[in-house]
Amino acid sequence: MSAAETLHDVAPMSPGKEAARLGFRLTLPAQILVLFISLFPLLMQLYISLTDWSPLAGTSWPQAWAMWNTFANYTDLIGDDRLWAALGRTGFIMAVCVPVEFLLGLGLATLFADDFPGKRVAYSILIMPMMVVPAVAGYMFYMLFQSGGPVNDLLAHLTGAPVTVAWLSSPTLALAAVMVADIWQWTPLMFLILLSGLVGVPEDQMKAATLLGANAWQRFLTIALPRMKAIMVIAVAIRVIECFKIFDTLYIMTGGGPGVATETISVYIYKITTGDLIWGYVAAIALAILVVLSVACLWAMRRLAK
Amino acid sequence: MQRYLAFQIFRYAAILAALAVTLVPILWMVSMAFKPVGEWQATGAALTWIPKAPTLDNFRFIFGQSSSALIVALDKTAAMPIVSSLLSATIGTAIAMSAGTAAAYGLSRFGSGQNLPLALIQLRLFPPMAVMIPVMMMWAFLNIMDTWWGLALIYGIVTLPFAFWLMKTFFDDMPREIEEAALVEGCSRARVFWRITLPMMRAPLAAAALFVFILNWSDYLIALLLTSRNWVTIPVYMTSLSSSMTGQLYGAKAALGLIAAVPPVVLGILIQRHLVRGLTFGALKQ
Repeated sequence: MSAAETLHDVAPMSPGKEAARLGFRLTLPAQILVLFISLFPLLMQLYISLTDWSPLAGTSWPQAWAMWNTFANYTDLIGDDRLWAALGRTGFIMAVCVPVEFLLGLGLATLFADDFPGKRVAYSILIMPMMVVPAVAGYMFYMLFQSGGPVNDLLAHLTGAPVTVAWLSSPTLALAAVMVADIWQWTPLMFLILLSGLVGVPEDQMKAATLLGANAWQRFLTIALPRMKAIMVIAVAIRVIECFKIFDTLYIMTGGGPGVATETISVYIYKITTGDLIWGYVAAIALAILVVLSVACLWAMRRLAK
Repeated sequence: MQRYLAFQIFRYAAILAALAVTLVPILWMVSMAFKPVGEWQATGAALTWIPKAPTLDNFRFIFGQSSSALIVALDKTAAMPIVSSLLSATIGTAIAMSAGTAAAYGLSRFGSGQNLPLALIQLRLFPPMAVMIPVMMMWAFLNIMDTWWGLALIYGIVTLPFAFWLMKTFFDDMPREIEEAALVEGCSRARVFWRITLPMMRAPLAAAALFVFILNWSDYLIALLLTSRNWVTIPVYMTSLSSSMTGQLYGAKAALGLIAAVPPVVLGILIQRHLVRGLTFGALKQ
């Protein structure tokens, strides 16, 4: 029984029409905003993706049909090595960062499952990174990884010899550095979500298992883990989605460089949007990504529903 | 007993290590914000973790008072970017919260707008970069490029999913007896929403609004594309703080970074209880 029907039952004096009309009016602004940001952009994007239009073309975009090229942008996209490399790099960052964040977050969460002195303070500090503005976090790590910076200083103290690694100008180390920044900022999110799931595990079940002789590891595996499955899926899904968009921290740390060593899909699109200004082509890439993501999303939701 | 003790020692050691890793980047920036020019890039043995001669020069500098040690002159102080960030994030929050709260109530009580939950999740799923070209074209057409109201409008739309989902779970959880009693008394449904439900929901509304504000305040990419000169926000302005003569203005950037980082961290700790609900679209309630 829907909410509207419930209300109707207890308040027969006001007609259901009033409720329906009010409901329509209340949802209207949100509907307009959604339509405004999905319908126009999609149509415009589709239109200019079939042309060679660019803001430098000298004509306004409604006249872009003069530069019609049918599907040339879409066929170019298939042979665009830089695009595929950027996609692969984004996938690589995702494949490393999300599992590391998950395991670290889960480990920390299990340490916080029961009370100990100082828990509240430690908890408040540990979740701080995810509230730091990502652009500022990017700048923090930019400073940390300077060749004369504190990371090298700490390493020098540990090894006893001066360390002058140029983190951000080496292709492999720069990639490692941006991943460290991502892990620093988003492990707290995993921790926060997983801890809330762990706390939700009924205590009497855990106690019963202890009485039956189960050790901590067995209790975790057989009682906590199965109950946390849904929460783990949510936590990982959120991070996968956000990690795919990765831009702010990374762009401030390296600008996608050195060369294209840390160029992710968002950075690549940003660069050809503002640098090369080939908007017809960018629109084609953007639409292709939207279509692939929508299909992937539908597929994932079907599987989750099962 | 021994195993218990060993576990406690391991726990504290692990948590302390995590705390150290969490705090070092933040403390380095705080320390940098108070360092005089000479200590900005000191390396090797001269590298200082705590400023030897702490100073407020970096803060004075970004607000336009040139410090004696810095020969660079700013063509623009941090004042306008701070105003721009505040205005666009606040009004953006107001837009998201009013549209989101109304729609959430409409769906929760009257079953209107069944398409919204999924449509809004999809909105959140897509990388903003993939819709920015048409948005830039639309904003240019509407003549709201490089204005705080143009920025506020897109912020309101981008964070609408969070406002909607958060408020929906709050409304779903709320007991309906009082609303129903008021209806029996002869109150109209609109009046019940406005006079009874909303005042009762003051605390959840505030939590959701603060959460949405943090998200808006944290944006970098959208402001980078939609503002250029007059209304750049703090993060965009921050990246411009370098000069060909002196290179990166480390301390000045750190001072501004500190100013940008404080509000969301404070607000985030304030609404700690609701963070999980907000971040998971209400799927999890702490």
